[in-house]
Amino acid sequence: MAIAEEVREQAEPGAARTRRIRPSARLTGRRLLAAIPVLWGVTFLTYVVMNLLPGDAAQELLGANATPAQVHQLEIQLHLNEPFWVRYGGWLGGLLHGDLGTSLASRENVTTILGQRMPVTAELLLYAFAGSIVFAVGLAVLAARKPNGVADRISMVVSMTGLSIAPYVLALVLIYIFAVKLQVFPAIGYTPLTASPGANIRSLTLPAIAIGFPLFSVYTRLLRADIVEQMQREDYIVTARAKGVSPWRVLIRHALPNSLFGLITLVALNLGTLVGAVAIIEPIFSLPGVGAILIQSITDHDVPVVEGIVVVFAVVVVLAGLLADLLYAVLDPRIRYERAAS
Amino acid sequence: MSAPLPELLAPGTEPAVARASRARGRGRARNLRVWLSAGFLIVLVCACFLWPLVYPVPKPTGGSILESGLPPLSPGHIFGTDPVGNDVFSRILYGGRVSFEVGVSVTAIGLVIGGVLGTAAGYWGGAVDTVIMRVLDVLIAFPALVLALAIAEGLGPSEMHVIWALSFFSIPAFGRIARSATLALRGQTFMLAARLSGTSRRRIILRHVVPNIMPQLLTFSLLGIGVAIILEGALSFLGLGIPLPEPSWGSMIAQGQGTLSASPELVLIPSAFLFVTVVALNVLGDALRERWAR
Amino acid sequence: MTGALLDIEDLRVTFTGRGHGREVQAVDGVTYSVYAGQTLAIVGESGSGKTVSCRALMGLLPPTATITGSARFQGIQLIGLSDDRLREHRGANVAMVFQDPARSLNPTMRVGAQIAEAVRAHRTVTKAQAREQAVDLLRQVHIPLPERRCSEYPHQLSGGMRQRVMIAIALACRPRLLIADEATTALDVTTQAQIMELLLELQAELGMALMLISHDLGLAGAYADEVIVMYAGRIVEQAPAAELAGHVRMPYTQALFEAIPRLERPAHAPLQVIGGRPPDPAALPQGCAFEPRCRLAADDCRAAAPPLAEHEPGHRWACWHPQGGAGGMGPPGEKGSRS
Repeated sequence: MAIAEEVREQAEPGAARTRRIRPSARLTGRRLLAAIPVLWGVTFLTYVVMNLLPGDAAQELLGANATPAQVHQLEIQLHLNEPFWVRYGGWLGGLLHGDLGTSLASRENVTTILGQRMPVTAELLLYAFAGSIVFAVGLAVLAARKPNGVADRISMVVSMTGLSIAPYVLALVLIYIFAVKLQVFPAIGYTPLTASPGANIRSLTLPAIAIGFPLFSVYTRLLRADIVEQMQREDYIVTARAKGVSPWRVLIRHALPNSLFGLITLVALNLGTLVGAVAIIEPIFSLPGVGAILIQSITDHDVPVVEGIVVVFAVVVVLAGLLADLLYAVLDPRIRYERAAS
Repeated sequence: MSAPLPELLAPGTEPAVARASRARGRGRARNLRVWLSAGFLIVLVCACFLWPLVYPVPKPTGGSILESGLPPLSPGHIFGTDPVGNDVFSRILYGGRVSFEVGVSVTAIGLVIGGVLGTAAGYWGGAVDTVIMRVLDVLIAFPALVLALAIAEGLGPSEMHVIWALSFFSIPAFGRIARSATLALRGQTFMLAARLSGTSRRRIILRHVVPNIMPQLLTFSLLGIGVAIILEGALSFLGLGIPLPEPSWGSMIAQGQGTLSASPELVLIPSAFLFVTVVALNVLGDALRERWAR
Repeated sequence: MTGALLDIEDLRVTFTGRGHGREVQAVDGVTYSVYAGQTLAIVGESGSGKTVSCRALMGLLPPTATITGSARFQGIQLIGLSDDRLREHRGANVAMVFQDPARSLNPTMRVGAQIAEAVRAHRTVTKAQAREQAVDLLRQVHIPLPERRCSEYPHQLSGGMRQRVMIAIALACRPRLLIADEATTALDVTTQAQIMELLLELQAELGMALMLISHDLGLAGAYADEVIVMYAGRIVEQAPAAELAGHVRMPYTQALFEAIPRLERPAHAPLQVIGGRPPDPAALPQGCAFEPRCRLAADDCRAAAPPLAEHEPGHRWACWHPQGGAGGMGPPGEKGSRS
């Protein structure tokens, strides 16, 4: 809510603000409210799925050689023998108090585990996103300058490549070229930001490219198409040209801001699907992030950890959606003022 | 895997831009793309399924240690052998079978079930629409890889389980595409005309809606097969897909990881096949979309 | 100075169709001149080529267009000029006002910024100076509270105000020629009159030439000095407005006059329309393009297209069988106040 106010203040210095604050607060509130059942549904579904599958944590922990009695005993210890609803209720209750439970495999506090690993994943994703968006905007603008020109053809080839390559393949190819052959980047391992910023960036570059390059390709394609559509179909572009404005300025100052909406939507929605990408890329590069333990936790039937990760990502997705809404309002004054009028 | 939201990639986001002086040339270039990519895919599919029947190749599993680690272009093993002694070339062929089987099955399931649900939601609207869309929304919001991994892991690795798990992705994706395509169609006048002239609902759907949304769905299918192949590769890469020692491009890549510096070809060859196949599917899908978007 | 401000000679515009190789002849050899301070109206149906010919001058057509012929602005040849050189003229010497102000203004950019941009495209001024000039321009087009309007967005303004903003943008660098392309078509009638009055007032103030492009012959007759009628990419009649009102020659022009609804006609009388449709610009006929719809058509009309010639002083037409004598509009309608 505070962010929205600040944005409006910058955009409309001194303008009457009261009528504009209330609707935006109401809208955001409504969205948050609508997000809660979705969040709940996601966690519930995860719990159901994890429990429907054969096997459980006790079994996994003790291994194949354990006797049924041993397994049963561990189950009691881990409260796995209690009925589904009791367990779920207990976990949900804990969640509402901010307690994500304890890992069944390592007995550590889930919040602690996430606290240690989330920053790594967050940094990786931030790096990947920032890079992919910046380069996508740059390439899309260059390509849209002359549709079917040289830059455009190159952008099409590059984005086709990115769309068609699997992230894990890209990761391995990158490792082979840059780590093994050229020895510029480390193949595995992670250096925290606090230890050495340079090494930190270097350890995250290859994984960020592996995740970011496919994203960059999708974004470039979409943005280029949207920009070209604006340039060719919209009347205000003709007006701008008729004024004698330079072609680059028409492209960047007029067409681009009006073309960003599709991209924003896509970025916000893509965020949730990155759980999967992270789960595959982090182990390849031995990064101590959240993805690295996700698969193992699923295999271990370590429900609290899996749930914890799911909750975090679901919250991020919801926040991303809100941020996207905010960006729409910043970019398009009609949305801002429509809300005020309604 | 980062699968982008279907509608934003669906036909319609890329306007048909034609520079006049080269318009005819581009039409020819597009035809070239269609034929090249389609041709390549047909050749590859035939090779994967028919080659071992026609021309003997070493079996993809059960190789002997004596023959392990051979480099490409060794006699009898054109792509070399893996550390266990299996012939890489035949593993590529059999792995390709898996990729295509999974890719096409998952897409077909999505197309049929998702397409029906989406069309129903788009055509009838109202409560039907809301219910179907909520269900699809939850499926989309769900961290789907978790679901797929859980299913694959819990039920045990097998090709059928992979297909089921991946169908959880494809059904909602097709559902959304079919729904938005149907909605776009519903607004058009000829639909109203059909209703007014007394055409039965069923006939309208079969004769009017379906033929008009099929091009979009088909081009999306081609792109979808590519995505499914990559996802199957991902699951196999994680060891949760096709069980070893059965070959899959994904598991071959995973296996080759260990010897990346020494024998990179074990990673690069299946990667190359995976890449080129998906490129061909994407190029074909794109070219067809352009052609049908007029 | 009797030299023309703008000299157009045998202007032709061809569009090459998408992927079919079809050629669409949008403008088929147009010749006319515009003089400083003059108000010239170009009238025609949609597809007559009136808009295309003007956009061709400014280089605003898509790359699918091939432009040949000559268009000299103050002696400088505009056809074939590179985009960079043309840009020096666009907005500075020749400015355009477009039809739909709702779509012709950038929805995400403040009005003041859009006007200031027009200024800064050709003059080196600071942002503050440009903004000041923007406020001045808004004042000139009679928008109340110009300082406040500058910070507003297009969607916050009414249609008439938006069009005034468009005019302000066009005036930013004191152009010699202002082309109003259906500038009032999207507005309601009262606003139409206001905008036309504004245009004429500004023309007098700044000594600009004004080109009115419209499908409304009544408008042309009321506000222009000289009227050109276009059909199927060619000029079919040209005369001073007063002359045209009294002595129409080309049957098409006559039909246009008759199509204007009038209060004097008896109630419930059917509206006069011109039957048929304009020819397909991709397949222009060999003979007169209007022949299929013309009530005075004869065989020679089908055989060859009549040339445009000055058959009477100051009055050109292209017709094998012009109607003689009086015709036209009858008593002229309300004229705008002119100095």
